[in-house]
Amino acid sequence: MNTISRIGAFIISVYQYVLGVLALFMDILYWIFIGPFKGKTARRENIFYQMVFVGLRSALIVFFVTFFTGIVLAMQSAYQLERMGATLYVASLVAVSLCRELGPVLTALVIAGRVGSAIAAELGTMKVSEQIEALELMAINPVRFLAVPRFFALFIMQPCLTVLGNISGIIGGLIVGVGSLGINKDLYIQTTFKYLELKDIYTGVVKSFVFAMIIALIGCYEGLNTKGGAEGVGKATTNSVVISFILIILADCVLTTIFYFSEM
Amino acid sequence: MSENNKEKEVIISVKNVSKSFQGRKIIDNVSLDIYSSETFVIMGCSGSGKSTLLRLMTGVIQPDEGSVIIKGKDITEISDKALDEVRRSFGMLFQYSALLDSLTVEENVSLPLKEHTKLAEDIIRIIVKMKLSLVGLRGYEAYYPSQISGGMRKRVGLARAIAMDPAIVFYDEPTSGLDPVVGGVIDKLIKDLSAKLLITSVVVTHDMQSVFNIADRVAMIHKGKVIATGETDQIKNTTNPYVQQFINGKPNGPIDLFKEDIGIKEALDL
Amino acid sequence: MKVVREQKGDCTVCLIDGEINLNTSPDLRKAFEDYIRDNARKVAIDFSNVPYIDSSGLATLIELFQRLKKVNGKLRIYSVSEKVKNVFEVTKLHKLFEIYDDQETALEGF
Repeated sequence: MNTISRIGAFIISVYQYVLGVLALFMDILYWIFIGPFKGKTARRENIFYQMVFVGLRSALIVFFVTFFTGIVLAMQSAYQLERMGATLYVASLVAVSLCRELGPVLTALVIAGRVGSAIAAELGTMKVSEQIEALELMAINPVRFLAVPRFFALFIMQPCLTVLGNISGIIGGLIVGVGSLGINKDLYIQTTFKYLELKDIYTGVVKSFVFAMIIALIGCYEGLNTKGGAEGVGKATTNSVVISFILIILADCVLTTIFYFSEM
Repeated sequence: MSENNKEKEVIISVKNVSKSFQGRKIIDNVSLDIYSSETFVIMGCSGSGKSTLLRLMTGVIQPDEGSVIIKGKDITEISDKALDEVRRSFGMLFQYSALLDSLTVEENVSLPLKEHTKLAEDIIRIIVKMKLSLVGLRGYEAYYPSQISGGMRKRVGLARAIAMDPAIVFYDEPTSGLDPVVGGVIDKLIKDLSAKLLITSVVVTHDMQSVFNIADRVAMIHKGKVIATGETDQIKNTTNPYVQQFINGKPNGPIDLFKEDIGIKEALDL
Repeated sequence: MKVVREQKGDCTVCLIDGEINLNTSPDLRKAFEDYIRDNARKVAIDFSNVPYIDSSGLATLIELFQRLKKVNGKLRIYSVSEKVKNVFEVTKLHKLFEIYDDQETALEGF
């Protein structure tokens, strides 16, 4: 009975969490699409500031993570392909797996760890120090003022960072291919683009839009619902990262399935 | 002040309000009338429910029962949009100021003006300067809240609360954590604002010196119930043992802290 | 709120009728901008029909005061009601503005 009631409580709390996140999502969509017609929208300078924070300041870490992944990927696939004498195809393997899968996912995980947690921590601190309440009492909607700029910034910058990740991963692969596998540079680039189709790139970009929404929604939701002082802020921050990670992988699985069966 | 009170126009009316948290009744059937342009002080021990009452009056939390009527509008029933409309006519000074960390002092004070009015930037800048000089802060416009002292933050909070020229200002422990001089400055400001600008002030505090400095009328809350209301002098000379114990800060009396777990919740509830 | 402008010699007299608040102060600002554009140096403002002025109104007056000061101009205010005077006092602006009882005294020696 105890276990069953615990499972029941867990399911209810998950259900409530999902409802809460969806309500926040609806709220954000309202302020993006309907708010402007009522003369109330997020301020441009806030969005710009967030875009700089999300985009520019994450570029370097995204670059490093995907660059080294490209290197590792090239070496691991060369290990297999060498036996078949197909080392040249390292180029296309690296490019396709990065654009379709690793680029979007790794970028999303990096951004969830860097930006999603920062959002949760910042909004959480604002919540426990009554700043959110102060906004409400000034008749300033916290979702419009705080969540919308962050959501918007992530939605725009995440695909850009993903493309950056794809490129830097391919460069990493190129360095291995040319430097240690002895493939001609032009031939490597040629092979890369020979098998890389446009759909490989845009399925990855579509994924990145979904990941951006997950990171922004979870970060904002955790932040805005923080309870109980500094410890609560820590909890919200951890939760935002853990839940974002799980949802990103889950969404990736679902999207890949959809793309696979619709032959994209 | 007494002239204004004779008109007795009720601006805030709390009617039979109750509120429970996790089965504990924090506010128990409270009714209060606050008149236009008076300074009304709500006093009580920590945990007596006075901060919760303030939250109910500002619509941050909804009562389980009863209604709160501000300027003729029942804020427990109106839409969010209408509530925002009412909120534009009041300001609030938070106990810990609640300034936005990411904005400078100037941006904090100008925030409501930028959000709710179409005034030119130059005009807003002048208003901010006026409000800051009113609270005795000049030259701190470009500082961030983390760079100034607690007393200064409180004064910035007050400048922000009155940025929109509100009809009502709520104060949550305005003098707590301040040195006596700054506390006195804040008290004088509250008095000036209501005497000269006819602002209605609702103050929650347990600072007795402040109470007798500023209050026109006082209500005392104990365990979620209003146990006494009256003009400041009446309260001062009351025979009510609870009020007497509270005013004089005696450890022994009808308010017994050791029998009840009062205080701990309020202290931990941030 | 209505703003009427009268020219008395080299002095611009501004008659304001109505509350000066968040909604009306931008109009007042526009009127003041016209005075500055027309090179007015001496401006006197009649407050007899102003029942209320808020911070945005005060800020508009301060801006006019600053602009006049830049061109060595002067600002005088007269016939201020008790309620409005209180607002000036709380904000300590009565020390900044020259406040007179009526138009005659305000324009004397201006």
